[in-house]
Amino acid sequence: MQAETRSNAARINEPFAAAAKAPPDHGRETGASRTPDRADAASRTVELRIRRQDGPTTAPYWQSFRLEARPGANIVSLLMDLREHCVTASGEPVDPVAFEHNCMEEVCGACAMLINGVPRPACSALIADLETPIRLEPLPKFPVVRDLMVDRAQLFAQLKRVKAWIRIDGAWDNHERAPRISPQDWAANYLYSRCMSCGCCLAACPQFGPDQAFVGPASLAQVRLMNAHPTGRHDKAERLHAIMADGGLSDCGNAQNCVRVCPKEIPLTTAIGELGRQTTVQALKDLFGGR
Amino acid sequence: MTMLGLTRQPGFAMSASIQNPHFLLRRLHSLLGLVPVGAFLIFHLWENSQSRFGATHYNEEVVGALQGLNYLLLLELFVIALPLLFHAGYGLLIIRDGQAEPRRYGYLRNWLYWLQRISGLALILFLLLHVGLTRIAGLFDPSISADLFSHMQQALSQPLVFALYLIGVLLAVFHLANGIATAGIVWGLTSSAEAQRRFGWFCAGFGLLLAALGVHGLLGFLIAPGAGGGA
Repeated sequence: MQAETRSNAARINEPFAAAAKAPPDHGRETGASRTPDRADAASRTVELRIRRQDGPTTAPYWQSFRLEARPGANIVSLLMDLREHCVTASGEPVDPVAFEHNCMEEVCGACAMLINGVPRPACSALIADLETPIRLEPLPKFPVVRDLMVDRAQLFAQLKRVKAWIRIDGAWDNHERAPRISPQDWAANYLYSRCMSCGCCLAACPQFGPDQAFVGPASLAQVRLMNAHPTGRHDKAERLHAIMADGGLSDCGNAQNCVRVCPKEIPLTTAIGELGRQTTVQALKDLFGGR
Repeated sequence: MTMLGLTRQPGFAMSASIQNPHFLLRRLHSLLGLVPVGAFLIFHLWENSQSRFGATHYNEEVVGALQGLNYLLLLELFVIALPLLFHAGYGLLIIRDGQAEPRRYGYLRNWLYWLQRISGLALILFLLLHVGLTRIAGLFDPSISADLFSHMQQALSQPLVFALYLIGVLLAVFHLANGIATAGIVWGLTSSAEAQRRFGWFCAGFGLLLAALGVHGLLGFLIAPGAGGGA
């Protein structure tokens, strides 16, 4: 949704920007005699530098491409255009660049990659806002499948590890009303429900990596969400025990990059602070008894 | 599931927090850093800030009073040395992992994450030098502990030693102040981003005060009245 609003905003602003830039006496001039700035905004030749990799175990290499970016284009649409004529800047035809995409509105998380060194979803990265040449790299910390495509199975393994789900109270009518949640709690919980498992927070986390056991901020935030749920709270102790084991919450180094790069602006560090409090209480219960 | 997922299989085992020592060890590392190690740093800088009153005051009221404490060796061992050794040793284990990339992610907290690790490493080296030059050297040469003021004054009047001590004191103060700020998050004292930011600035203020106290103590050895004599 954010991608849509951003690109709409860009489109809406275009005429105003053009009007502001046009010299007052030449207002009637059109087409070819427009200022160069205006031509750039309509369509622009961009240089793409892509870190490619033919397979999970082969060595990565860089390739440059030069192509027209249509107005309002984003990285995914640019890669789609590139797929039609995948010719490098030096004129060599090459295999199309492999990449993942799905929703095109920043809700599925499939297209996350490193864009100019920053982990973010490609669909909401507008070409007009990016510095050129644009550098594209696969999302770090995850094994590369091919080119910009990574295997994020790790993320789902971590969600399973922390029991990031809610057990239903039964598949039959239990003659109880739906649980009540205060609007305040609902508003706070909603922030965490927006996680789309894109993996940007994990890419930026210094404590997360293939050789490290840390579960990562994304799954921790889901523990915060599930523990607050009226039905999910019954499994709170089990989830807390899961994040108190090796590679759990206490492996967080408080670098707080996660919250800075999260495209959905999820308060990940707040979740980590709240879980710090919950695990402190849980440890006291474990030590001295109590539920 | 990928091969990476499988390598982490041990982490999937469910265990209560006190049956798995990981959580307790991490929290112990955090706790010992605050009390007694951090508390001792404050006490230590406070005591040494009295260096400007000169050799007599320092040797009698500061060093002498401490040397007269009952069970001094046990206190030194259990309140300072062992907690410090655990904090340093376990800290070394913790910082094996992790790549900060402070250039790619130039956010303040990421820089502090990186500096906390660097300062921890540097402090281990500094403390080996510092404890070796004072407490350990004093065991072999009784004249050092008899007149610690002159010993420190001679050492600190060499620019290289003074620079090392200045860096050591500032790094120790930084490591404590930043450690208190992150301990607030770890223990769950501060949860919201605003609370973490507010407490972060509070710790920065505390760090500046403590740094001033520490630097004042170092300078005191050089500006004390009757320096060298014992007036």
